[in-house]
Order: sequence, then structure tokens, then C-alpha cells
Amino acid sequence: MTRSTVSGGEGMQAFKKSPWVLHYDASSCNGCDIEVVASLTPLYDVERLGVVNTGNPKHADIFLVTGSVNAQNLKVLRTLYEQMPEPRVVAAVGICATSGCVFRECYNVMGGVDTVLPVDVYIPGCAARPESIIDGILQAVELLEKKRAYMKSMHGRMKDMAIGRATALDAPEILALQKIVYQNEAEMYDDWSLAPLKQTLQDMRKDFETRVFIKAVVGGKIIGSVRGYMVGETTAHISRLIVHPYFWKQGIGTRLVQEAESNFPRAARFETFTGQKSRHTMEPYQRLGYMPVRQEKVSEHRDRVYFARNREGA
Amino acid sequence: MQSRRGPPLLQPFYDVAKLFRKETIVVRRSQNFYVYFFFVFIVFTAVLFFTGGDLLLTIFALTLASIFLVLGAYKASSPYSFIGAERELILMMAYEPMVLLAAVGMYLVTRSFIVLDIARSPRLLVLTLPGLFVGFVVILVFKLRKSPFDLSASHHAHQEIVRGITTEFSGRTLALIEIAHWYETTVVLGMVALFFAALPWLAAVAAGVVFFLVILVDNVFARVKWQLALAAAWITAAALGVGNILVVFFLR
Repeated sequence: MTRSTVSGGEGMQAFKKSPWVLHYDASSCNGCDIEVVASLTPLYDVERLGVVNTGNPKHADIFLVTGSVNAQNLKVLRTLYEQMPEPRVVAAVGICATSGCVFRECYNVMGGVDTVLPVDVYIPGCAARPESIIDGILQAVELLEKKRAYMKSMHGRMKDMAIGRATALDAPEILALQKIVYQNEAEMYDDWSLAPLKQTLQDMRKDFETRVFIKAVVGGKIIGSVRGYMVGETTAHISRLIVHPYFWKQGIGTRLVQEAESNFPRAARFETFTGQKSRHTMEPYQRLGYMPVRQEKVSEHRDRVYFARNREGA
Repeated sequence: MQSRRGPPLLQPFYDVAKLFRKETIVVRRSQNFYVYFFFVFIVFTAVLFFTGGDLLLTIFALTLASIFLVLGAYKASSPYSFIGAERELILMMAYEPMVLLAAVGMYLVTRSFIVLDIARSPRLLVLTLPGLFVGFVVILVFKLRKSPFDLSASHHAHQEIVRGITTEFSGRTLALIEIAHWYETTVVLGMVALFFAALPWLAAVAAGVVFFLVILVDNVFARVKWQLALAAAWITAAALGVGNILVVFFLR
């Protein structure tokens, strides 16, 4: 799955007129589930506000979750959430979705929805009344507009980008980003066996013991990363330069590599490799003076191009 | 229609305005590429039709556009959009004969495939081609993807194929599909109006009535299986379409 830039004009607050809802019933008694459907009936007619109960996460703006989260539906919830395009809002409908309620202590129940997703709106009730569900949707709509404004402002906030060392705590976020970026690569080479796509969280955590991880952060989110380690006494190997596709062609890669290099003061020579078609990855290195040294075939469609550069004055 | 207030009339425009402000998620970047072509060809179709171009070329461009949407859905390689794409192809095979027969019928009466000539014909086509007209209204339900023939992209995504052909499209791309759909609707309603072109006011009323009818039918009927849809379309085309043309041909 690839995500591309949020686009669109100014002016009217479009989300207020057309909030599309995705409804998922996690577990519990189905009471809230029925009330959500009730609010769509002609009596409460939430569609008059432009609401569409879409069954497709890729078309949805608001994620209405009823019921508590358990070990089985946790994955479903995460998947649905991941597939929703930004800006998106999560609303927990009813007390089970809010806290787990009487099911809270059950052996398989994780608790409310906020144990696995960032919940924005809590709608009280057991079961939640259609009136309060509609009220919750209207609050969610306000948040959609706010999030949209925030995302737009993110584009102007590249100046505030912070680049620094990442810790093992950042591993899940960096791994998620790595998978997004390498999905692009996999498509480019038609090779879905790329190691970065298969890396596990455990494996990446282990990498933190031996490698230096650098991260680029904008607005609290990691949008780029690179890692490096010493090979022998004088050579540093820089690898896996990843930048979220939103933020390509803004010089972030170059800054990440520079920061990584500065973590190896003893290195006289820096090395890296990329795929032969990955121009966006080569570019930052070439700008910093890396020269191609050799090329070798690793699979049918993919060659590895090795780049290296000697430290100035070394 | 359903004794409730319902969404405002401008709702489709609000939806599209919102979709343009959403993030566009794709499975493969190339899938959007096909949708751009779909959009361009639909606009081309509309321009061709309303500037009075060749009716056959219009129909061909419309078909080509739909093919691009189908390719986009195939490219997205999700089971839902895949089945949606397959069903769209079946639907196209179902309605295409009737569309062509309508064009042939219009030619038989006006001796021209040029939209402008057909529109300027002093004869009220629907009087000579009532079978073709009724048949065309039936396949309109196919073309506008309404129940009972909304096999390829169910209106609400709670059924077996989620949103069918549009399942994997979001944000700006989905907005383009929506806009293209408006063009599609306008062009096919324009063809309906062509049956009444001798009396412009009647043409406008007819297009409006037919559009209302299609929406009413959409709300009343459940979806049918593809076998039945195909049979319905071809039997209509064979009986009403071919029958009408034979009558016109021999009685002329």
C-alpha cells in the first residue's frame, strides 16, 4: 500500500458536508451496533448530514467502533485503521468501546478501543443512544477539519524537522516506515523477497545494539531514517536510507546521511549500496560525493550498485 | 422518495470536494494512471457527443473509457476490485449490443451517424423507434450501475464485493471516478434526449423522467446474478432492438 500527498484546495469545509463512516463491531452485546444502524434509518436519518455508511475503509473518514477489543479482533481493527486515508478520526461508541466496561477483566479482552487505536471521540451510553451517536459524529467532523488543517500546516513545517539518534523505542515506527518505503522498491523491481520487507521487530531491536540509527522527525512523526555501522577499523557502512514518499525531493535524505556520517568520527571511508533503479536513494549519496565503485547482480531484475567516498583530508 | 429528509441535492458535489482533500492510498501507483485515462476519455466522449460529432465514435470512446477503468481495477489486484472488474466486463458485453442497435436504428431513420444531423432531424425518433428507446432505458440501468444491475460496483459497500470496481481507489482518484460518472450520466441521458430531439422541451422532460425512473428502479430492486443480467440485456436487445429495426427496415 502506498500513500501519496494530501491535495486539494482551500475554502469550504468539505468534511462537514460529507463525513463517510466505517462501522466495525468489535465484540460485546451488539446493542451499540444496532443503535449505529438505527441512526441511519429514516427516523434519525443521519444521511441528511451527508453521512454515508461505507463498508470500505479506503473510502472512510470516521471509524465508528462498538464493543471492546479482544485478542482476536485486534488485528482486524489495526488493519481497518491502517487502510483509512488521512485525515481520519476514530470514535469509540458506547461504554465497552470506551473502557471495556464489565468485560474489562475478561481473560481475552484488552479493554477499550484506545488500547489499540488513537481514539478521538468517546460516545457514552449502554447502549449509546442514536442522538449521542449523531452528536459524536458531528464532533468527529470538527476534528476532521482540524486534522486536515494540521496536515496542511505540516507541509510548511519542514524547517522544524529534527534529525538525531533514534533509540530502540523508535523501532516499531521505523519498521513501519521501512515497510512503506520498501513496498515501493519491491514494486519497482518486481521482487517481494526484499529483506527489509521481511524484517521483524525483534530483529530490528537487535540491530539497535550494533548499529547507529538516525531519525528525521516532523510534528512528532518519524518520516525518515538511516542506519550505519563500522566495517573493520576505518570504514563505515551506511544503509537503508528511507524517507516517507510524502517527503521526497526535499533534501531530507542528504541530511540524514550527513548526520549518520558524523556519528563515525574514526571512519576514513564511507560505503553504501542501492538498487540500480533506485535513483531517489542514489541522489543524496551522489550529492555528498559518493562514487559508484562496482555493480553486482543479486536477483533477476535487481543489481546492487556499491557507492563509496573517502573523508575529505583523509 | 423514502419519506425522510435525506442528504441535500448538492451532496455529490460535497462528496467530491471532500475526496479531493483526502489522502490517496493505492496498492500500486500505476492503478491511478488508468483512472486518469478513464477520465480523459469520458470527457472526450462528452465533448464529442455534445459538439454533435459521430455517434459511433462517441460510443467507441465511451467503451474505451470504461475499459481503462476496468484495467485500473485489475491493476489494483484486490479480490474485490478484481471481481468488480470482471463483472464490469460482463456488463459491458451485456449492454453494448443494445447501444449499437440504438445507433443503427437512428441511422435507419435519419440516414446519418452524426449526432448533429440526428438532432436536427424533423422526425420524432421515438415514434419510429419505440422498441429501441425502451431497450435503451433498460440498459441505462446497466450503464449507470444501478440495481438490479449494479453487479460491478454496489452502491453501498456492505455486500459481497465491498465497493467492487472502485474498492481500491480513494481520495483524488475516487473523486475523478465520481466526476467521470457525472459525464457518463450526462452523455447517456443525452442519448435518451436524442430520441426526442425534434421537440427540445420534450427531450429535456424525457431525460429527466428517465433519470428519475432509473433512480426509482435502483431503490426498488435487489441485485440480480450476472447470468440473469446478461440474459435480460440480450433478450431485450434481441426482442425490442432487433425487432424494432426489422420493422423499420421492411416498412420503410
